[in-house]
Amino acid sequence: MKVLEATGIKKCFGGVVALSDGNFSCQEGRITGLLGANGSGKSTISKIIAGVYSADAGEIRYKDRLVRYRNPNEARKDGIAMVYQNLSLVPDLTVWQNIVLGAEEKKRLFLDNKAAKNLSKEIIDQLLPGLDIGKMVYELNPGEMQIVEIAKAISAEPKLLILDEPTSALEKAQVKSLFRFVRSLAERGVAINFTSHRLWEVMEICDDIIIFRNGENVGSLDFERDGRDPERIVSYITGDVQKVKVSRERRKNGGKSVLEVKGLNYGKFLRDVSLDLKKGEILGIGGLAGQGQHELLLALAGNYPSVDCVATIDGEKVRLNRPANSIRHSVLLVPGDRELEGLFLKQSVYTNVIFPKLGLKHQPLFTPRAKYRKECERAVDVLSIKTSSLDMPVRTLSGGNQQKVVVGKWFSFSTNVLLLADPAKGVDIGAKRDLYGYIVNQVREKGISVILYASDTEELAEYCDRVLIMYEGQIVASLEGDDINEDTIIATSMRVR
Amino acid sequence: MNVAARMRTNPAFRFVDQYKKLFIAFLLIIFLFLLGEVTVSNFLSFAQLLLTVKLASFIALFGLCQMIVMAGGGGGLDMSVGYTATMTAVLTASMMDGRNENLWIAMLVALVIGLAVGVANGLLTAYVKLPPLVVTMSMSLILQGGINVYTAGANITGKPSPILQIMAAKSIGIFPNILFILLILTPVVMILLYRTKWGLALFGTGTNETAAYLSGVNVKRVRCISFVISGILSSFIGLLLIGNMGIAFKDMGSNYVMPSIAAVVVGGVSMNGGDGNYIGVILGAIFLQTLTNLLVAMGWGDAGKWLGFGIVLFILLIVYVNDIRSR
Amino acid sequence: MNKARTASGSSTLRKLISKPEFSILLILVVMFTITAVLQANFFEKRSIVRNINAFAPLILLTMGQAVVIIAGGLDLSAGSALSLVVCVLTFVMRKASPETGAWAILAALVVAVLIGVINGIGIGYLRIPPVIITFATSYMWLGAALFLRPTPGGESVDWFKAFYDFSALPGASDSLKAFGSWMPPALILLLLGCLMWFVMKRTRMGRYIYAVGSNGNSAYESGINTAKIQMQACVINSLFIFLAALFFVGQTMSGDARMGDPLTLKAIAAAVVGGIALTGGRGSVYFAIVGALIMSFVNKIIFFANIPYAYQTLVSGVIIIVAIAGSQTYTLYRRRAMARESTLA
Repeated sequence: MKVLEATGIKKCFGGVVALSDGNFSCQEGRITGLLGANGSGKSTISKIIAGVYSADAGEIRYKDRLVRYRNPNEARKDGIAMVYQNLSLVPDLTVWQNIVLGAEEKKRLFLDNKAAKNLSKEIIDQLLPGLDIGKMVYELNPGEMQIVEIAKAISAEPKLLILDEPTSALEKAQVKSLFRFVRSLAERGVAINFTSHRLWEVMEICDDIIIFRNGENVGSLDFERDGRDPERIVSYITGDVQKVKVSRERRKNGGKSVLEVKGLNYGKFLRDVSLDLKKGEILGIGGLAGQGQHELLLALAGNYPSVDCVATIDGEKVRLNRPANSIRHSVLLVPGDRELEGLFLKQSVYTNVIFPKLGLKHQPLFTPRAKYRKECERAVDVLSIKTSSLDMPVRTLSGGNQQKVVVGKWFSFSTNVLLLADPAKGVDIGAKRDLYGYIVNQVREKGISVILYASDTEELAEYCDRVLIMYEGQIVASLEGDDINEDTIIATSMRVR
Repeated sequence: MNVAARMRTNPAFRFVDQYKKLFIAFLLIIFLFLLGEVTVSNFLSFAQLLLTVKLASFIALFGLCQMIVMAGGGGGLDMSVGYTATMTAVLTASMMDGRNENLWIAMLVALVIGLAVGVANGLLTAYVKLPPLVVTMSMSLILQGGINVYTAGANITGKPSPILQIMAAKSIGIFPNILFILLILTPVVMILLYRTKWGLALFGTGTNETAAYLSGVNVKRVRCISFVISGILSSFIGLLLIGNMGIAFKDMGSNYVMPSIAAVVVGGVSMNGGDGNYIGVILGAIFLQTLTNLLVAMGWGDAGKWLGFGIVLFILLIVYVNDIRSR
Repeated sequence: MNKARTASGSSTLRKLISKPEFSILLILVVMFTITAVLQANFFEKRSIVRNINAFAPLILLTMGQAVVIIAGGLDLSAGSALSLVVCVLTFVMRKASPETGAWAILAALVVAVLIGVINGIGIGYLRIPPVIITFATSYMWLGAALFLRPTPGGESVDWFKAFYDFSALPGASDSLKAFGSWMPPALILLLLGCLMWFVMKRTRMGRYIYAVGSNGNSAYESGINTAKIQMQACVINSLFIFLAALFFVGQTMSGDARMGDPLTLKAIAAAVVGGIALTGGRGSVYFAIVGALIMSFVNKIIFFANIPYAYQTLVSGVIIIVAIAGSQTYTLYRRRAMARESTLA
């Protein structure tokens, strides 16, 4: 029996269409998988169903009535529970306190801790036997936290359980016991919606899957009827991508090495990452969203003081624990989140563009304003930043122009390596062309090297000489030459080939 | 381009938008003067205005310290300014002993005191990451303790050097000299904040710490320096304060701490950091002094002053709440 | 805190020692011992009662402050709020008519709750940084207190002495005096405060106070009204302040608009020494009592060290800054060590 059916769901985020025509249904006792590349809309639709976002258009029928939740709490009270990727746990409470948080039972005046502990123990024993429910959550490892998060969702006895990437933090054994439990839930009649970037897991646990591409669902498979064929799934995910012949000739690997890193580790985000960037090369970093690409670029820029890694930049040893170190060796970062990491929104274009100079050693106390303004004007000119004056606050600029300002910050620096973290995110087509045109030009004329992470595979396929695929904090593949096309990048990212 | 976007690029609109808090402060002052004229007679006059500015000047001077530490963001506030000033005034009173040739020694002492307090505040807030308010309040306690020790038993003797008295207490015609100090100080402060490497780095740090750090700026040092400058400044204000009053006494500076913070908020400086317009702070100081005058004229005294300051600060915090929300 | 652990004996001991609670208790024992050695009649009944009386206000304020800090706030207005409540009490009371005492208590309770509500609106609903908003309100309370009592003074009904010393109560029976000699009113007020928190901690509100302070967003996602909880924390703090005010008036029988000021910072420092993290969510209100005891014993030791009176402010300032900075450095160090461990794992 159909538990929930969503039809024609539409959702925009500030002009960017995340979901144009999303359709989804799930049935009692069945596990339905959601698949799709980055930004295909699969997690947007889960969040709309769970009440995190509200849809711009379309309707959701739950148990044969029309519903429209304003927040996750309403959905949860109605029996729809979602397990979030970013954990909703409170670190300073115990496991059992977290499991019942927000739904505590009372016995007369006081909280009924005994019932809460029993309930938690019962659930935890099925999911992860041996976990002490009296432990503080901040003492747990990421996998255990994920299990507690799932236990919290289950404790409300939902009719529909949405699992968004529940296995990314888990070990093999934990995944096995989770799957056994999810299966037993399904047998008890719970409808389950399962999203994972591990294609093999989806094929193992799901009864059927729905595939999303560019904000709409492009196909669904019933595994019993259609069989489990990974190649077919990937073809749905990538669509009929024409293997675009890129006009530019890709450079062969073999120039002088500019930036070399061996065995870079950062918490659970980066594990033993090694790479070797050649002069004049555009090195792409690909993979599914959130596999450590951002962290890799930030680590190379020296953002993490705890990273204990020595890089070789132009033959010189450099410790990557302070941004100033990287900057001094002309390894410059264009961060991904421009509002949080790149810009001073309140300040003028001028202040933003000249800001990195303030951190340099041996700068005059008084800023040489005439000189700086001239440089700033040139940056605005070359990057074609559209602003009425240099004194406009950056906040008033459009997204594309803001991004150009972030790139412009390094305009007057002699660049050796440019680290670009998803530079075209939320940027209109014109600005995107300007940006990449500028960067390619810099590579060709000044011989700089670039490490480019882009969530859009098309950009990687178009501009890169070599693409490294990251998966769960590791570099798992290196693509060169004709292998650099969207189809191969996506398939490799999903670890099909 | 929609209407809102066109509005934003319109220079006239932008001017009003950028300085709207200054206008608010200005309107508040006019409102108070009119209110005073209606309720208490002889409130609105040029002489009264000049007197108000003279009395407000020390609030504005201490407000400068607050503005600088606030610009660096991270909840920056310096509660120790008044106590640093008192410490300097009390210690240097007997050294100067009413003679100009001893002024340089007093200035040296002021520098040392300001530096010591500022460095301690800066290290504890920027590097040990303690809340600035708690640190500087404790620092106030230590300074007040030091003053108590120094003044215990013996009376504070000595007079300020005549130069200080001329600067802080005398007038040229009807214009009090301290007004000229403010007039000179304003452009100096603006240059310090808008034209130096450190000033721009401070604004950047206050606006977006992460972005400043990723741009290679040492944000801890920048913030620490803001506290050092605040310490040194407040110490020198202590010299002016003794020049103004003619004698030093135990709590000559402490009553300026709260008004200096309120002045900065009234003047429209964001408590989140990242901006600072000293003219606004001066307007804020004048507003608070006018409020005090009004309350005194109404016979509400000390109680009315603190209650009024508290309520004004509370209301403005609510009005400007979008600028200061913590999460 | 003391969950049964299945680890072997020696590692259980090591775990216990590595806990911050252990070091706090150890400091308390050391301070206690030093004081006991210095004060000749430390264990006599009279000096025990005197010590309890001296420590009680700080302990009460620290408990209240701890609740606010755990909920992710900070109350810089606690001291002036105490002054205001004291001034309200002595403003309403007339020595000649004993029934005014009851009215005074009612009025003071209303004022105290109002203080908590206003602070709570600022911290919880308007989400203004707690430090700033309570700084502003502290001057509102100070101004109001000065209105009621421009100079120290005022009067109080006689039976208010019951909040300080039963034997000072006119017409007290012998059995009450005997009871008071081993159970001073200050201790009763403290126990009342503890009982209050004991009950609240076991309700949803108590649990949510921790949740909100620990991670506000997660708490909100779990369906908790975070603003309401922070406001409730502020009101609880007010109740502790109210208890402290009763004691003060019982002791001094008068009011002073500035009497509470020095206590604000001491209470914050004591809470931090008691293991309450300024970042919220972590620590125990009962351990805040330990923190307040440590600070009180330190004061006592300074007193016995024959430091001249003039030095007292200086020394207590130094102690506060050392205590807060020390605790913070210790927390940062521990967090870094834990992060390193989890990276290795």
